[in-house]
Amino acid sequence: MKHPFSRRDFLRMAGALPLGLTVPHLLQMLAHPASVQNNPKNVLVVVFDAFSAFDIPVYGFERQTTPTIAQLAKRAIVYRNHFASGNFTSPGTASLLTGVLPWTHRAINLNGTVTGSFVERNLFRAFQKYYRIAYTHNGIVSTLLNQFRTDIDELIPRERYYLEPSYDLFLSELFKNDSDIFSVSWARNMQVNENGYAYSLYLSHLYEYLQEKNVEDLKPRFPGGFPTYDLVHPFLLETAIDGLGKRLPHIPKPFLGYFHFMPPHEPYRAPVEFYNKFQGDGYRPPIKPISIFANANHKDLADERRKYDEFILYCDREFGRLYNQLESSGVLENTWVILTSDHGEMFERGIEGHGLEVLYQPVIRIPLMIFEPGRETGMTIDTATNAIDVLPTLTYLTGQASPSWAEGTVLPPFATAGSDPNRSLYTVQARNNPKYDPLIQASIALIKNNYKLHYYFGYPQTAQAGFMQLFDIKSDPEELVDLYLSKPDTAAELLQELKQKLDDVNKPYQ
Amino acid sequence: MNLKRYSKQGLLSLFLICAFPVHFWTLLLVLRDMSWAIQRTNAWDAIGLASYGLLYALVECILLFCVVACLGFILPSGWNVDKGIAFLSLLFLLTAAWAMLAQLFFIWNFSLPAWLLKSLAHSAHPLRTLYAGSLVVVVPTILLPVILFIRSSKVVSFMKDLIERVGPLSMLYLFFDLVGFIIVLVRNLA
Repeated sequence: MKHPFSRRDFLRMAGALPLGLTVPHLLQMLAHPASVQNNPKNVLVVVFDAFSAFDIPVYGFERQTTPTIAQLAKRAIVYRNHFASGNFTSPGTASLLTGVLPWTHRAINLNGTVTGSFVERNLFRAFQKYYRIAYTHNGIVSTLLNQFRTDIDELIPRERYYLEPSYDLFLSELFKNDSDIFSVSWARNMQVNENGYAYSLYLSHLYEYLQEKNVEDLKPRFPGGFPTYDLVHPFLLETAIDGLGKRLPHIPKPFLGYFHFMPPHEPYRAPVEFYNKFQGDGYRPPIKPISIFANANHKDLADERRKYDEFILYCDREFGRLYNQLESSGVLENTWVILTSDHGEMFERGIEGHGLEVLYQPVIRIPLMIFEPGRETGMTIDTATNAIDVLPTLTYLTGQASPSWAEGTVLPPFATAGSDPNRSLYTVQARNNPKYDPLIQASIALIKNNYKLHYYFGYPQTAQAGFMQLFDIKSDPEELVDLYLSKPDTAAELLQELKQKLDDVNKPYQ
Repeated sequence: MNLKRYSKQGLLSLFLICAFPVHFWTLLLVLRDMSWAIQRTNAWDAIGLASYGLLYALVECILLFCVVACLGFILPSGWNVDKGIAFLSLLFLLTAAWAMLAQLFFIWNFSLPAWLLKSLAHSAHPLRTLYAGSLVVVVPTILLPVILFIRSSKVVSFMKDLIERVGPLSMLYLFFDLVGFIIVLVRNLA
C-alpha cells in the first residue's frame, strides 16, 4: 500500500514549519515601527491625580510650577491638546485603563466600577506577556485596580506608602475586598482629630494619639499638614517614589507599571520648601464669567490655586527623582514613560476643584508626555487627543495585539495613517446618573476641529433643552467668548452630532 | 484579690452597660452620615459603612468591658456584687457622657467665649490652664454622683433599675452587631 504522505514529504513539511510559524509574526512586526521590533520595551504610566495642563508652564502657564518637567520635556513628545475622558477620578481613570469612554465602561459615579465586560478588557489584559505592577494612593483608583487584579501580577496595597502604623496595614489587608468602604468607615470611626468627633468614643482618642506619635518627627516638614487621601490617610509622595523606583529594577522584564499618585489632588499640602512659594507673586488669572454651577467665591479660589500650584512643585520634584532613579538604574533606557493625569482642576468661574457639572478646559485638559527610550529631542503634537488613545498607542508601540474593544486611536506621531482632522473627541460627566440608566443628567463636551461644544442637561440649573456653550479653543483657549449664539450653524451641527451620539450610547440602556 | 466579686449575671449586666453608650453614639453618628454615604456612592455602601461602625463598636465595648471589669477588683471588698456592678456602671456612664459631650462640642460647633479665649491666650501656660479649668468642671460631676451613690441607697437602687432597663436595649444593639458582622462578611467574601 502506497503511503499518501511519505517520509520525504514529512521532512519537507517539517522544514517549512518554522517558516510557517514565523511568517505571521514577521508580518505583525512589519506593521510596527523599527523601534518596537527590537527587544520588548517596558512601559511605565505615571499618573498625577487632578493635574491640570492649565497649571503647567510647558502648556503655557505663567507660574513656574514644573521646572524639572520642563527640562525633561525637552526630550519628550508633548501633547498640547490632550483631554481627559471624564472630569473626576472614576471615569477619567477607567477610560485611561480601558481605552473606552465613560458611557461605554460605565464607571460614571463616584467610586464607580466598570461594567462586567470591561473587567477583562483593560490595559493590564492587553499586556498579558508583561510583568504587570500597579500602585495608587487613591482609594477610588484602588477600586478599579481591584476589579482588574486578576490581570495584575503585583498590585501593591495603597497603605504600604501611607504614614500609618502596622495595625492599619493589617486591617487594610484583612478587608482588602471592600477596601473603599472599610477605609471610609475606619476614618469615620477612628480619626477624631480631623473633625473633632468620630463614631468611637474612646478608641478614637487612643488611635489618634498613636498616630500622632508615629508622624511627630515629620510634622515640621509639612507646615500646612500632611498630604492625605480622603483627608484621613497621610502620606509622603517621596516614600512611594522611592519604594517604586527601587522596586522596578528588580521585577521581571518586560514590565508594565501603572503608578497613580494622589498629588496634586486636594488637600493641597506642599512641603516646607514649597510652602507659600507663590505667596504674593502677583499672578492674576484672567477674569471669567461666573458659571451657573458656581460654588465658591473668587478670593478663596486665588488662594486655593496658589496652594495647588505649590503642591504641583512637589509633584514636579518627585517625578524628577523617579526619572533620575530609573535613569541611574538603567531601567529608563529600555522603558517608555508616560506622564499624564486622570482629570484636571479648576479655580475659576466661581468653581473650585473637579467632579462638578462643568467641563471647562482646566478640568479636562491634562498633560500627556511620552518619554521614548533613547529620544534626545523634544516634539510637540498639537492635534487634539483623548485619554482613550493611550491604551491603543501603548499596545502598538510594544507590538502587542491591538485591543479590539478600544475606542481610541494610535497617537501621532506613531500612527501610520495620520490623524483624522475631523475626529470628534468626547468628555463625559454623569456622576449622579444611575450606572445602567440612559444618561438623563450629564455634561458632555464635544471637541472637533477648533471648536468645543459644552452640553449640560437634566440639571436643576439648566432649561429643558439643556445649557449649551460653544468656544473656539484654538483662538480662545481660556473659553472667554461663547460663540453659541453668534455661530448658530456650527453650534447646531455639533449639537446634532452630539445628540445622535448620545442616542446611540443610550440605546443599550433603554 | 477576690475572684468571686462578679457573678455571671453581673458580668453580663456590666457588659451590656458598656455596650449601651458606645453603640448609641455610633448609631447616632452613622444615621447622621447616612444621606452623605448614599450620595457618595449608593445605599449598599451606606449599609456597609454602618455595619463596619457596629463591628468596631462591638470590639470597643468588649475592650472597655475588660478594663471596667478589672477596675472592679479595687472596689471595697464589703460591697456585694450588685452594688459593685451598679457603681462601675455609674462611673462608666458618667465618663461616656463626658466623652459624648466633648464630641458634641465640635458637632454643634460650640466655641468658648471670646473673653475666655483671650484670657487663656494671655496666661503663662494656656494649655495647662485649659486642662485645669476642665478638671474643675468635670471632677465635681463625677465626685458628686459617687458620693451620693455611697451615701444613698436610693441612688444605688436607681442604678440597679437603670441597668435592668438598659439591658434589653443593649441586647438589641448586639443583634444589630450580628447583622452588621454578617454584612461585613458578605461584602468581603463577595
